[in-house]
Amino acid sequence: MKDVVRLGAGSGFWGDAMDPAVELMEKGELDYMSFDFLAELTMALLQRQKLKDPEAGYVPDVVAYMQTLMPMARERGTKLVSNGGGANPRAAGKRIVEAARKLGLTGLKVGIVEGDDLLSRLDELLAEGISLPHLETGEDNVAAMRNRVVSANAYIDSSGIIEALRRGADVVVTGRVSDNGPYVGPIMHEFGWNHDAEHADRIAAAITVGHLAECASAVTGGMSSRWAEMPRMGEVGFPIIEFSRDGTAEITKLPGTGGRVDQWTVKEHLLYEIGDPRNYLMPDGVPDFTSIRLDEVGPDRVRLSGIRGRVQPDTLKLLIGYSDGWIGEGMMFFPWPDALGRAQKAKDTLLERFARLGLDARAIHFDLVGVNMLHGPAAPMPDYELNEVGLRVAVKTNTRDEAEKVRRACSNLWIMGPGGTSFGTPMKPRPVISCWPTLVPRGIVEQNVEIMEA
Amino acid sequence: MSRLLREIAYVRSGDKGNICSFGVIATAPEHYEMLLRTVTPARVKQLYGDFVKGAVHVYRLDNIHSINVVMEQALGGGAPSTLRLDQTAKSLGNAILRLPIDGIS
Repeated sequence: MKDVVRLGAGSGFWGDAMDPAVELMEKGELDYMSFDFLAELTMALLQRQKLKDPEAGYVPDVVAYMQTLMPMARERGTKLVSNGGGANPRAAGKRIVEAARKLGLTGLKVGIVEGDDLLSRLDELLAEGISLPHLETGEDNVAAMRNRVVSANAYIDSSGIIEALRRGADVVVTGRVSDNGPYVGPIMHEFGWNHDAEHADRIAAAITVGHLAECASAVTGGMSSRWAEMPRMGEVGFPIIEFSRDGTAEITKLPGTGGRVDQWTVKEHLLYEIGDPRNYLMPDGVPDFTSIRLDEVGPDRVRLSGIRGRVQPDTLKLLIGYSDGWIGEGMMFFPWPDALGRAQKAKDTLLERFARLGLDARAIHFDLVGVNMLHGPAAPMPDYELNEVGLRVAVKTNTRDEAEKVRRACSNLWIMGPGGTSFGTPMKPRPVISCWPTLVPRGIVEQNVEIMEA
Repeated sequence: MSRLLREIAYVRSGDKGNICSFGVIATAPEHYEMLLRTVTPARVKQLYGDFVKGAVHVYRLDNIHSINVVMEQALGGGAPSTLRLDQTAKSLGNAILRLPIDGIS
C-alpha cells in the first residue's frame, strides 16, 4: 500500500494549454492526473448544446486530451480524472471509449459519474416544497424564472469518483463535481478514507491541495503579483501534489519548467475565490485555511501541514442557469488632442442615438478604456492629457433586436462621432445566461457510476 | 507623499456569483499589522464606491499574514450577466493597492 499519492494537474480551465499536461505526464511519474474544465457558466452553455444535440454537451477538449494522454498514461500506470463530462458525461464516456479502441487500448476502463444534473427534477423538488432561495440575495421567487431555466447542476462530492476508481476505472469523467473533486477522490480512494469525523482533517487537507492545484499554473507562477520575476511563463510547469497518508502534502513542479512554486505562489492561490477562510464549504468537507502551515522545503517545493477541517455539510450548492436577455456592446477610440473631451462628446451622441432608435434598455454602462474600465470608481481621473482613450458601452436588453440597436448606434458614430473616432469591428450582441445559486439537501442527489470498456 | 498599500502587499482577485473576493498578502510578516489596519470594510466600501452594492467582509489569516476581502453584490450581477469587461473580477482586487498606509489611526 502506498503512503504517498502523486497527482498532477492536467488542466486549470477549458481553454488551458495541453503541452504542460503532456510534459507532466511524460516525466512526472504520476499516479493520477486530474483535470478541471468547468467554470460557473460552463454548465449552462453545455446544457444548451445538449438540447440541440443529445450527443453533445460535454467539454469537447476532454476527448482530445484523453486521446493524447491515454496511451502514455496506460504505459505509466497513471489514471486520468476529469470533470470534462460537463452536461453529458455519458456521451463523453462513449467518445473516449471510441478513441481508446482506435488507439488499440483494449480493455481500458472508462468510468462515468452522473447525478449532478437536477434539471429534469426541478419541478419535482419545487412540488415537494423544497424552496430554492438565492444564496446571495435571499430572493425566493424561482417560479418567476422557471420557464427560462436552461441548467440546474449540483456541486457533488467525490464519492462517485471513488466508486469508479474502486471498480477499476483507468479514466474517470464526471459532470459538475466540485473543482477539487478530481483530486480529493483519488486521494480518498488510495487511502480508503470515508467521509467521517475520523478522517475530517485529512479530507480537509485533500480539499486544500485540490483547491491549490485545480487552476493548474495559477499556483506555479500564473496570475502572480510577482509576474515580473516569473521565469519563462510560456513554458510553465503544472503543479505536482505529493499527498501523504498522514494528511501532509508537498506541492512542486517538474525541474526545468517555467514558473515557480514558493510560499508566495501558494499563498496567492490559497486565497483565490474563497469566502470565510475558516469555512471553505465544499461537498467533501470544510477546511479551515487559518490552520495551514506552509514551509518552503526545497527549490520549487512547499510543504503543507497542520490542516484541520470539519465533515461534509448536509447541503450541496445547486447552480441554476437561466436565460436573462441580451447584451449589446461597442467600443471606439479617440486620439490626442483632448481625447477625453472627444470620448465625452461621443457618449452624449450615443445616448441621443439610443433615444432616437427607441432603445429599450434594462441597464446602460459606460467605461473609459485606459482610465476606469477595470477599477471603476476606485480609479482616479488622470490629471494629465492622455495620448488616446477608448469609450466602451454595454447595454442589457430583453431581446436580441434591442441589443442590435446598440451595434447600429455605435456604427452611426463612424461619421457622426467627433473627429478622429476610430473603431475595430463592431461587436455582435450576445445572449445572457444568469446564475441562481442555491442549496439543496444532500440526500436528494444520488450519484450513478457506470464503467464502459474499450 | 503618503505610502500606498502596493509597497507592502500582493493581491489575487476573483469572483463567485455576484461576489468579488480577493486575498491581500503582506510581503513580510512585519507588514501584517499595517495591512490589517489599512484594509477595513469601511475603507474598502469607500474606495470602490457604487461598484459594490452589498456588504464587505475582511477575514484574517494570521498563519499566512494575509487577509481575504469579500465584497457582496460587487460584480454588476455576476460574470455571465455583468456589463463590465472584467466579468470575473480578475483585476478588481488590484485597486485595493491604492489605499494609503501612512497616518492611519
